[in-house]
Amino acid sequence: MKTFKAAPLIFLLIYTSIGWPTHSVCKNSHLEIYYISCDPLQDFAFTLDSCSGLTTGSVNIRAATVLRHSIRELFVTVNLFFNGKSIPIFSRQLCEQNHPNLSFCGKKKGEHVYYEGPVSFRSYDIPHGDFNVTVELFNGDQHTIVCTNFTILSR
Amino acid sequence: MVRRGALSLLVFITFSLVVIFRTRLIASVNPCVQVTPGITYVCMELNLKGIPSEIPNSTQNLDLSFNPLEVLYSNYFSLVPALRFLDITRCHITKIEDDAFAGLHSLSVLLLTGNPLQFLAPRAFQDLTSLQRLVLVETNLFLLDSLPIGHLMSLQELNLSNNYIDSLKLPKYFSQLIHLKRLILQSNKISSISSGDLDALPTHNLTLVLCRNNIKYIQPRSFKRVYLQELSLRSSFEDNAVMQVGLLNLTGLHVNSLVLGGHRNLRKAESFNKNLLDGLCHMELQKITLICTGDAFGRTDSLSACLNNISTVRFMHTYLKTVYFPKNNNIRHLECKDIRFYHVPFENLASLTELRVLRITDTNTLVEFNLRSEVNWTLKNLETLDLSDNNLYIDLRWLCLKERFSNLMVLNLSFNSLITLSTEVFGPTKLKYLDLQHSRLIGPGRLPTFLCLKTLIYLDISYTSIVITMECSFCGLDSLEVLKMAGNSFKDNQLANAFTNVTKLKILDISYCQLQHVSLSSFDLLHDLRELNISNNKLLDFYPESYMHLQALTILDFHSNQLITLTKKHLENLPSGLKKLDLSQNLFDCSCDRLYFLRWGQEHKDLFINAEMMKCHSPSHLKGTQLMHFDESTCQVSVTTVAVSVSISVIVALSLILVYKFYFHLYYMILLLSGGHSTTDHSKIYDAFVIYSGEDQVWVKQELEDTLESGVPRFRLCLHYRDFRPGVPIITNIIKEGFQSSRKVIAVVSTHFLESRWCNFELEVAQSWQLLDSKASLIFVILEGVDRAALRQKLGLFRYLRRNAYLVWKDREVKRHVFLRQLKSALLEGKTWTEDELKAMLTN
Repeated sequence: MKTFKAAPLIFLLIYTSIGWPTHSVCKNSHLEIYYISCDPLQDFAFTLDSCSGLTTGSVNIRAATVLRHSIRELFVTVNLFFNGKSIPIFSRQLCEQNHPNLSFCGKKKGEHVYYEGPVSFRSYDIPHGDFNVTVELFNGDQHTIVCTNFTILSR
Repeated sequence: MVRRGALSLLVFITFSLVVIFRTRLIASVNPCVQVTPGITYVCMELNLKGIPSEIPNSTQNLDLSFNPLEVLYSNYFSLVPALRFLDITRCHITKIEDDAFAGLHSLSVLLLTGNPLQFLAPRAFQDLTSLQRLVLVETNLFLLDSLPIGHLMSLQELNLSNNYIDSLKLPKYFSQLIHLKRLILQSNKISSISSGDLDALPTHNLTLVLCRNNIKYIQPRSFKRVYLQELSLRSSFEDNAVMQVGLLNLTGLHVNSLVLGGHRNLRKAESFNKNLLDGLCHMELQKITLICTGDAFGRTDSLSACLNNISTVRFMHTYLKTVYFPKNNNIRHLECKDIRFYHVPFENLASLTELRVLRITDTNTLVEFNLRSEVNWTLKNLETLDLSDNNLYIDLRWLCLKERFSNLMVLNLSFNSLITLSTEVFGPTKLKYLDLQHSRLIGPGRLPTFLCLKTLIYLDISYTSIVITMECSFCGLDSLEVLKMAGNSFKDNQLANAFTNVTKLKILDISYCQLQHVSLSSFDLLHDLRELNISNNKLLDFYPESYMHLQALTILDFHSNQLITLTKKHLENLPSGLKKLDLSQNLFDCSCDRLYFLRWGQEHKDLFINAEMMKCHSPSHLKGTQLMHFDESTCQVSVTTVAVSVSISVIVALSLILVYKFYFHLYYMILLLSGGHSTTDHSKIYDAFVIYSGEDQVWVKQELEDTLESGVPRFRLCLHYRDFRPGVPIITNIIKEGFQSSRKVIAVVSTHFLESRWCNFELEVAQSWQLLDSKASLIFVILEGVDRAALRQKLGLFRYLRRNAYLVWKDREVKRHVFLRQLKSALLEGKTWTEDELKAMLTN
């Protein structure tokens, strides 16, 4: 009887020691968003000011991480997972080498990055249903800087 | 309760086991990644407490980042004295003791980012005499004075970003850092700059980065007679008012380049004051960059007039909608990147009479470019016009270009939406460099659109969706030395005579052009061509006639085609000066009949680029093998194989001869061994009764009696002159001694035989005997010289001979041998032996 109880505990223990925990970003009656870091090296801190901003096209976010690689150049890609397939929906360069736009560009390996500010995007009506979105940031050498899987439950 | 306690104990034990197991697992393997053996090792995030003993002392580049080193004791790196690059980012280092880096005389880069330093001993950086770059970002530093770096004479870059330094007062030791080029104090706590702070500046060549500080006050004259290469002040001031005063207080500064502005994510909504940049009038300034100024500058005439004195003006990531400049002779270089133009405002720029370089790039909104407006304007000194990465739709007229920009040398219209070119006789007379890549082109390929560009040296029309259908596509490009046209196509995917008019060409790129065929005379006139890139096409071959005339060629890139091999003719005609040849990713055939090329390839290894990507495609068992690793010996038949096969065939032949020669001995041996020799029929004492004419007595004695009765096997013949009993009637003798006592009958047919009545009688008896016995026991031997006609007359015999096999005797050695052998095997049929006979035969 005891072994039956211990077995799932052991699995849970091994599992949590390898993967990162799931974080909740927002939760209201219409929308729930969770994320989990898909970077094997580290977890990622991320919060939203409010869920409602997601429908207006601009939302304040806070994000923090420690850089494993320099970001003289930084790119972001967003992929939607639908029916087991990955569909790229957004991709752009965030940091360029000379005179970049954003304040965190050019930070070095080992530096702490904290971004607090608006993120604007084309306002989509989030369709009803459950889906997964992967946001990946990588540098000019194709090293992953941040990788997060968002699970969006919309009702 | 007890149960719960036991459960938690169990969980605890499992947890501990898991932890121990995991740490063991990490510790048991060789920790670091070897990038270059003996030189470069990466040991990032391995929970190391020191330098792993596996690292050789020849190591030059070592990445130890994200390991809990904590304290750097004296002689910490004595194991790796040859270090040039050391990364100890985020190693929880709180304390660096005296002589921690002792012995590292070659170290040129030291990265200490993200360590919460609490104690830096005065001799912490002792011995680092070659150090050029020291990164102390986010290291909990408060004071420049406490930094023990005064003796680092080679230092070129000192990065102190993200610390708590609140004063720009450079300590005296800075005056010794005579090679210092970059001092980065970004994101510190500098709130005021006082006069005398920069007195210790070592050179006039320094780039000073003060971005993201919170400067509230700059004391007047603190930058008087200060010389800097670059001063970067992005997001450095508390607000615009402070900035305005601050810039005024930079009076007297000599700086080559000044960067002012903010960051997109740190933008503050602020009112704009026309005099904001008035301070620029009081500086010696070559170049100003205004970056991320938000909506502060929508028009340049809302900027301070001081801007007009600077020779290089750059606007980046601003909301600039248009430009207005008063007539001035100072601005020579104007650059606008990621702004808000809708059209290129040439009319407004015409006031910049000395403008040499104009760049308007990365502007999504920019769609219009019009040279044909009614307004009369020129930019006669403009040499470089760069309008790349916009959304322009351009109808380019060469004559207009000539009239507006009579001095234009460089024109870059790449990465735009659409460019239409026309055929004109007159055009710009000084244009040397034209870049149209990745813009959709209309005109080239179908029309001689470059006819008037006699001076052009460089032309890039890569990926412009053109199809070369016309031989005169490049007519007029008399001076062209570089032509890049990758990613386009040719009519029928065939390269014909498109390049007959560009005889000065030195570099030609026709990769990704879907070419399937290159005609033999395509490159005949390109005697000066040095580089040819014809990669990523669909060419099956590259005929020697095509490249024979390219005697100046040094680089040939033929990778990613469908080449199978190069023949001797190909290789002999390769240009003698060829230095680099890329044949990778072709469909090479590595069968042994291509050995000439494979061998040549291995002998000319140094010639190839990407040799490791030259792989066999066929035969299937070699698919994927590197050409350079092709084993030639697989094509040579080995000596042992030859020896073995020869000796086997000799043995086989010998044994066949022996078998043939001793056929009968073997036969008897088998018989003797098998025991099949018991005789049942003792009545037959002769093996054969010979019917012959008396005239042939000599022949019978020579050829039959002597050979059959004394040879091997030994037969007994019944011969009438010898074996017939005297005193018995001949017929009785014939029947009793001849037919009844013999197994076979041999009829020796000769002319005499046919004439002899006795013989005919005997033959008839034999034939009827055969009928009675129903055995094929009659053997005919036809002698030489028997007349066929006479045989035919003897009708019964003739019929018999037509139906049955018979032997023909001819007086020739070989024929005799064959005859005898056939006769012997015929006689052997049905013969039985006694054991004694067999033994006697074998011993014979």
